[in-house]
Amino acid sequence: MENYRQWIGNQYILVIFWYNNLILKIEGINMKSIVISSVVAALLVFSGCSDKEPAVDNQAQTSSAQAQEVKAVETETVVAEDSMVNSSSNAQATLADIESQLTSVYFGFDKFDIDADTKANIATAAELGKNAASEYSVKLEGNCDEWGSDEYNFALGLKRSSAVKQALVSEGIDASRISMVSYGESNPVCTDKTQECWSKNRRVDFKLLP
Amino acid sequence: MKIIFSLLMLVGLMFANDATIEVIKKVDSLPSLAVEDASISYDDTFKLRFFKSIVADLNVISLFNVDRHHRSTHYNDTTVLVENKDKHYVLRYKMFEDDNGALNIVMKLMNDSNEVFSKNYKVSRKDIYMFVSHAMAYDINDFMGEPSVAWMKRKVIFSRIVAPKRTEIVIADYTLAYQHTILKGGFNVFPKWANNAQNAFYYSSLDGKKPTLKHLDIKTSKIKSIISSDGMMICSDVSSDSKKLLLTMARNGQPDIYTYNVDTKKYKRETRFGGIDVNAQFMNKNKIVFISSRLGYPNVFSKRLDTNEIEQMVYYGRSNSACSARGEYIVYKARESSNAFSKNTFNLHLISTKTDFIRRLTATGVNEFPRFSKDGDAILFIKNYKGQSSIGIIRLNHNKNYLFPLKYGKLQAMDW
Repeated sequence: MENYRQWIGNQYILVIFWYNNLILKIEGINMKSIVISSVVAALLVFSGCSDKEPAVDNQAQTSSAQAQEVKAVETETVVAEDSMVNSSSNAQATLADIESQLTSVYFGFDKFDIDADTKANIATAAELGKNAASEYSVKLEGNCDEWGSDEYNFALGLKRSSAVKQALVSEGIDASRISMVSYGESNPVCTDKTQECWSKNRRVDFKLLP
Repeated sequence: MKIIFSLLMLVGLMFANDATIEVIKKVDSLPSLAVEDASISYDDTFKLRFFKSIVADLNVISLFNVDRHHRSTHYNDTTVLVENKDKHYVLRYKMFEDDNGALNIVMKLMNDSNEVFSKNYKVSRKDIYMFVSHAMAYDINDFMGEPSVAWMKRKVIFSRIVAPKRTEIVIADYTLAYQHTILKGGFNVFPKWANNAQNAFYYSSLDGKKPTLKHLDIKTSKIKSIISSDGMMICSDVSSDSKKLLLTMARNGQPDIYTYNVDTKKYKRETRFGGIDVNAQFMNKNKIVFISSRLGYPNVFSKRLDTNEIEQMVYYGRSNSACSARGEYIVYKARESSNAFSKNTFNLHLISTKTDFIRRLTATGVNEFPRFSKDGDAILFIKNYKGQSSIGIIRLNHNKNYLFPLKYGKLQAMDW
């Protein structure tokens, strides 16, 4: 049946080609007069590609071209970085010290469930959260390996964060102190093409927030 | 006999219009075309760059077997070059710089040494030459009486990962030859054009405490925050009238699909499944397709927004994690292997909601982020293969794929 349909499809295309050739011949006769339409730069093509918006990367840009460009918009700088620099070195050291004791939680391929080893990790994190880090809140950053940059991969990272959050809550951490985010595959700690590397990227990191 | 023939033709037309059916061996029947360069300004490097661009565009319109030899001639010569005598068509063009430094191009298409079509072009700067090349291919396609390839002139927006948690959002032409970084210095993902005019876009900012959907007006460079959500915040699709957004948000850590009214700023939760619901795309005003893990693995489902009826759309593959819809057609990404210990292959497949056919559109590597053109004639996608990110374009009705590599970084997401 499929072959038959392809045959029919091919026949159709042959007919279309015959028809196009016919049209071309007809147009070939009629088109002897030259159609020259001059196209103004501003209008050109460029449905929306105005002079304001320009320039190819990797190429030296002239200053006039620069001036015409829409300036690359800087995103708002995260205040946290600066404020941490300005804050007392003791507080900074404390936050960084505690964070270094929080080990990332790792997951299996395409998985977001928590196994026994992971539970021990989370119990340690919860202890810290109740004592040394009690004045901080925590951001759980879910990450994935490189297999896919679509929304589903981001959702997988989020489900990993969510699983860690639930485990922390069941260990007695107040849910209001925990926020979550997924970075999908955009935050790898390792970029080699090996299974060890991919497994290091399927993880949830703890980030303490003042 | 006439009736039978008419019926056969009708059936043929019905099936030939089905994009899920592959057209094979068509290449043999394409007319040959050679390109002759008669430029008088500019150095050889630039001449060759433009030549490559026009050859690529002529290949993409899929109407000719294009000769890739760069040959020079004089614009007013009445005969074509001897090497091109046997070609069905010869495209001859001349580039020259005028007193204002603008790039001018005149071109003519010849059939058996007779001029059948000609046109002039002008752009203010030579570094946006690729848009002239696209326009020439667009006009030739139009002259040949083929369905419009207006998508050639649309702009592509994509996010590029340059370092962990660092991305750039870039506006490009569909071949990536022209690239303009519009947003850099942060962690911004999933750009999505906000309207058909392509003068504003949405994107997800991951720099703040909560993922936030932002809107950037390209003309004024003004950024405004739209809505935030803990965990995840992505604009998956924008309705054709730009009034309604399909969002993936994760309030309480649960990724679900929401509709958002741009005018009233109100949102409505559309899915309530406990697993993963993401990647919603409008099929029409009242129907969406999306990816859900409700069968235990990611697959494509549809939902009617008025009646809440949910239907499984794809019955092939055990991991279909991205999709795009256009009319009756759905293109989706399927994992061909499921292995944690080796490289995986992801291919794109096309189905029609009206037939049972499945057409595989790609063969190797990781192919993802399929996006239909507005007219459904082409599919743009991201291909990652052997450490190289490219934008691919599939001409459905011509059964051809073309790849345009990214110079550096890894493509994260794109829209066009």
